[in-house]
Amino acid sequence: MVQVEKLLTQHNDVEGSHTIDVYRSLGGYKALEKALAMTPESIVDEVKKSNLRGRGGAGFPTGMKWSFMPKAPTFPDGRPKPKYLVCNADEGEPGTFKDRLLMTKHPHMLIEGMIVAAHAIGASRGFIYIRGEFVFETKRVEDAIVEARKMGLLGTKVSGTDWSFDLVVYRGAGAYICGEETALLNSLEGKRGEPRLKPPFPAMVGAFGMPTCVNNVETFCAVPTIINDGAAKFASVGTERSGGTRLFCVSGEIEKPGVYELPINVNLNDLIAHCGGVLGGKKLKAVIPGGASAPMLSAAETDVAMDFDSLAKAGTMAGSGGVIVISEDTCIVEVAARLLKFYEHESCGQCSQCREGSHWLARMFHRIEIGQGTEADLNAIAGICSNMAGQTICAFSDAVTGPALSSVRKFRHEFEEHVRLKRCPCKPEGHVPKHDHHASATL
Amino acid sequence: MTTSEALTKPKMTIDGQVVEFEPGDTIMRAAERARVDKTIPRFCYHPGLPVAGTCRMCAVEVEKAPKLMTACSTPAADGMVVLTQSDRVRKSRSGVMEMLLANHPLDCPVCDQAGECSLQDYSYEYGPSKSEFKEDKRVWKEATTKALSERLTLNMNRCIHCERCVRFTEDVTKTNELLMDNRGWHKELTTALDEGMFNEYQGNVADICPVGAITFNDFRFQKRVWFLKEKVGICDGCAKGCSIYADEEKGTVHRYRARFNAEVNKHWICDEGRMSFHRYQNAERVIHPLLSASGSLNATTWETVVPWLLSEMKKARRILLLIGTDASSEEAATIAQMLPSFSSADFVVRSWNGTNGVQSSVDDAALDHLLRRRDHTSNTRGIESLGIKPWNSATEQNFDLAIYFRCGRATLPPVMAQKEIAWGVFDLPEIQRFAAVLPGLSTLEKFGTYTNCDQVTQSFEIVVKGPGGTASVRKVLDGMKLKSSTPVREVVRDTI
Repeated sequence: MVQVEKLLTQHNDVEGSHTIDVYRSLGGYKALEKALAMTPESIVDEVKKSNLRGRGGAGFPTGMKWSFMPKAPTFPDGRPKPKYLVCNADEGEPGTFKDRLLMTKHPHMLIEGMIVAAHAIGASRGFIYIRGEFVFETKRVEDAIVEARKMGLLGTKVSGTDWSFDLVVYRGAGAYICGEETALLNSLEGKRGEPRLKPPFPAMVGAFGMPTCVNNVETFCAVPTIINDGAAKFASVGTERSGGTRLFCVSGEIEKPGVYELPINVNLNDLIAHCGGVLGGKKLKAVIPGGASAPMLSAAETDVAMDFDSLAKAGTMAGSGGVIVISEDTCIVEVAARLLKFYEHESCGQCSQCREGSHWLARMFHRIEIGQGTEADLNAIAGICSNMAGQTICAFSDAVTGPALSSVRKFRHEFEEHVRLKRCPCKPEGHVPKHDHHASATL
Repeated sequence: MTTSEALTKPKMTIDGQVVEFEPGDTIMRAAERARVDKTIPRFCYHPGLPVAGTCRMCAVEVEKAPKLMTACSTPAADGMVVLTQSDRVRKSRSGVMEMLLANHPLDCPVCDQAGECSLQDYSYEYGPSKSEFKEDKRVWKEATTKALSERLTLNMNRCIHCERCVRFTEDVTKTNELLMDNRGWHKELTTALDEGMFNEYQGNVADICPVGAITFNDFRFQKRVWFLKEKVGICDGCAKGCSIYADEEKGTVHRYRARFNAEVNKHWICDEGRMSFHRYQNAERVIHPLLSASGSLNATTWETVVPWLLSEMKKARRILLLIGTDASSEEAATIAQMLPSFSSADFVVRSWNGTNGVQSSVDDAALDHLLRRRDHTSNTRGIESLGIKPWNSATEQNFDLAIYFRCGRATLPPVMAQKEIAWGVFDLPEIQRFAAVLPGLSTLEKFGTYTNCDQVTQSFEIVVKGPGGTASVRKVLDGMKLKSSTPVREVVRDTI
């Protein structure tokens, strides 16, 4: 049985948890009080000691990211440069829906975490970039900001100190790539949501050209508990290199889908069992452990801890914590083709290999799915992927190759069956797939 | 830091060659500066535009870096070791080429860019000889021949999405007329306004387009580029004097392209200048000597017109020699000095500009933040430096003979004298008022120097031979010398 220790979502079921009064009655904004009495350096140290790693997908140590922010940046003429804090709430990874829960139930936890972070890095202004489809969540966060402002927790003189900090909510316009931190910054500035060349990194040249720190919603939400209860307690959960709990979003063919807060190093098998097992007691075929970009694990590989390092060792990634469970009844070729259709649609189109390659793979997988693939196609996939992964400005093309490569490597027999039978063996004969989107390449 | 340290420039190694670079250089700049053997291939990189780093063609191997790095964006560092031709690099380039060619129509036989196309060149050098791509190629039905403006045609199917054009209108002209519509595979170049592009530098977009996606209508389908000879020249369309390549075949210029000149025009030229060569290849240009007889101008020969001119000059008491500010400094100096020696008349030498109300360089001004000038003549500063003053048509009158020497865009002056002679480059509709026309050479057909609005003096050379019976100033003066009994002063003639 999984040990359940909730650090973020223990008050999920409390009525009105999103209001400031209820949040405060449950001990909210105590961390802010404590943090304002601490020096910025000691806050960064505390977060470093907690082993908190970014929950957006890359798993970069949060305390280290904060320490990269320049202390007192200036313009060439000597005036001080403002520093910005950005919350990445553009939760777009297929299979991920934890930030949505946090913003719905605990918007003040996010705000508190952001104020503490801003104090730690010396930011004067924060932006919350929320996925455009999250209309209700945006309202929740906006209302919470108004409440916090009324209480003097935001605006000029935060909590009666000499320091000013305020938050701005910005809604995205529906592009997956805007979850990539530099594409997000471009979008925030009103430009095309296309990732930027790095270096310079956002800590030097970020939003509007100013030093900027970008973190995920869940990352910020973990900050109050670290400050309140100390880094040691947070670090005691999880592994040596990756502390705390994680919100796992379990979906697909699972008995009880939903968001589960569990220690970050929970075993994947235990996690599936904790969620009631595979839907209808069916046999497990595969699991996507960290959102659509993470390479699939076959049923034989699921005895693995879910922390960043263990999954990386297993050849996949912890990503954004979106666990998609796939049963024996599902056609893996269809899953891969559907995922690649998503990537084809979402590639920003800057880099040659990603723009052309994501589309190429999508069409090829679709062809294989409907029985028009050949053995040569299956052999070409690895070559196409090797031209993409690691060759572009951002990690998107690596993400495309995740499902493409893992599916064909681990379930090659299913692909071969599609080629041999010239149709999908999981479907009745004559079945036409729903997403027949490539009837014509004419635009 | 010791003095010797301060003087040593940072060094890096590119393909085994130790090269010096300037602080702030990227790998690409350092390689260009050192002229390493093999240029690093590029699509999106252009030295006149901001770095995008998106085509990934210039990715090179940097020692100790786990991934390949784009040469266009990676700063050079002291002691850096770069490989631009390693197997890993070549494999990556081949990968980029396979991706770019996957949806490219490969219609080189009917594409105007063929022969000067980066995609074509790099395909020979780095591209895979076969492709695994078996899907239908992407086709933009509407944008296969789409007008971006009256001057530019877009074939979106050939586009490789380097976005040089977009960055050009963003960063150089600052007009933001072009943008990419949609995303990813559907990304389509389009104009921001339905009216299309409107800037005055559109030809550069065709110049910098590495493939045949954007072509300049004035040159489109006019000539296969491998027939053209690239000659260097100067545009004489305005006082800026931009450096150009004049591409010529068998005595006909087919286009101008910008030639990099850090002092004058950087990488760009304006459209007006780009199309200005047509002025000299115009069917209406006078290319044979004309002489008036019984009220109309008739074709004649140099043998007739030169003695006639000499006798007219001898008869006259007061002569105005008006030199257009589009004459080369050498021509102006020579005729100003020599013509008076053929006559004992009172000789007044003045200059004439007249474009857009400009009389001298004082009236000149920039028309925009880039290149275009109000003064449409090419050598106003040069003529001024010879000490020739602009003609004041109101006060300086009462001439019985006037000779107007003009080679470019100086306007026709008001009536100068009862008998007026045109010398230089003129079109038929302009010449009714003249008693004779002596056809001269345009910028394309001679050599000489112009001094531009910023006091930059540049020389230019012969691109094509003068058409028909046109003759250089030197030839005409030599002819006059032979016919004349008056001894002439020696002048430095080798310069014209």
